[in-house]
Amino acid sequence: MKFLSNKYLLFIIRIVIAFIFIYAGAEKISNPDDFALSISNYRLLPISLLNFFAITLPWIEIISGILLLLGISVKENSAIILTMLSVFTIAIIISLFRGLSIDCGCFGKGTQIGLLKLGENLLMITGSFLLMFFGSDYFGLKQKN
Amino acid sequence: MKLDYKKIFAIVFTSVLVSFVYNDFNPKGLKLIRDERVLNWGSDSLTTFPIINSFKVDSNLIVNKPKIDSAKTEIKKDVVELFKEPKAIKIDFAYKLFKQGVKFIDARPVEEFTEGHIKGAVNIPFYGSENYENILNKISKDVILVTYCSGEDCDLSILLGDELFNKGYKKVYVFFGGWNDWLSKGYPTGKK
Repeated sequence: MKFLSNKYLLFIIRIVIAFIFIYAGAEKISNPDDFALSISNYRLLPISLLNFFAITLPWIEIISGILLLLGISVKENSAIILTMLSVFTIAIIISLFRGLSIDCGCFGKGTQIGLLKLGENLLMITGSFLLMFFGSDYFGLKQKN
Repeated sequence: MKLDYKKIFAIVFTSVLVSFVYNDFNPKGLKLIRDERVLNWGSDSLTTFPIINSFKVDSNLIVNKPKIDSAKTEIKKDVVELFKEPKAIKIDFAYKLFKQGVKFIDARPVEEFTEGHIKGAVNIPFYGSENYENILNKISKDVILVTYCSGEDCDLSILLGDELFNKGYKKVYVFFGGWNDWLSKGYPTGKK
């Protein structure tokens, strides 16, 4: 437990997850229609809702990523990221059960869903859960003295 | 662990607001509500079928009137250009294509396909396994394909039609009436 709450470990997790989300969000923002198509590939949402999520999700990723990077409201942003990761992971699991071999849509084009993707997501879920639980103010704008 | 839910709401709300503003100014921006897929109707009779049309035009344009075979090759190219997306067709035209030996693709789930399907149709369930690459590998990208599902209310045939079209099949028809229309007309069926 002490190792998991180590401030340096939490700091590294914070920076890694923040950069991943900023990058993922930026990729999607650059090509919103591609991202809408990626969401449609999962065949989970009605067509009319695709664009709404394609427009808003990347910005939630970027803004919570930036805030996480700066160490602002780390627990709250980790909770947002944890929720998103959980939804994405459930969508991937459903698609894998359906036998779909589709593009993940995680970082723009080119990443297929699969067990590797699932593993990556579970690692990030663990990381963001730790951040949500313990917080991380090391090297952040709101560092406590 | 204590979470400030107001902060969470504020972050999400601000992000959504920023996304709307950005989307509004972005030249690549999307419409907030995506339009449902609108089907483009193909010709209903063989006399106005694109192949025939382009054939007529082509043979008039060609001065030396070469053999039909070479003209047909030209036609193939034309048809590829004519299809910008899958086209919807009704029962009569679907039956004409069936009689010509055109391949029918059943987009319904395996169980429904097993109960009964258009004779000679291949099953590629849209919401099922995507392990149909083997089936597709055997089908040339130049052939005409007709997708169908249960009837007018289902959209599996449209979704599959779009997917096949994106995979490179440029002559895809969506049989709008589907299995119900086929059955009511008493056309040939098969069971598996």
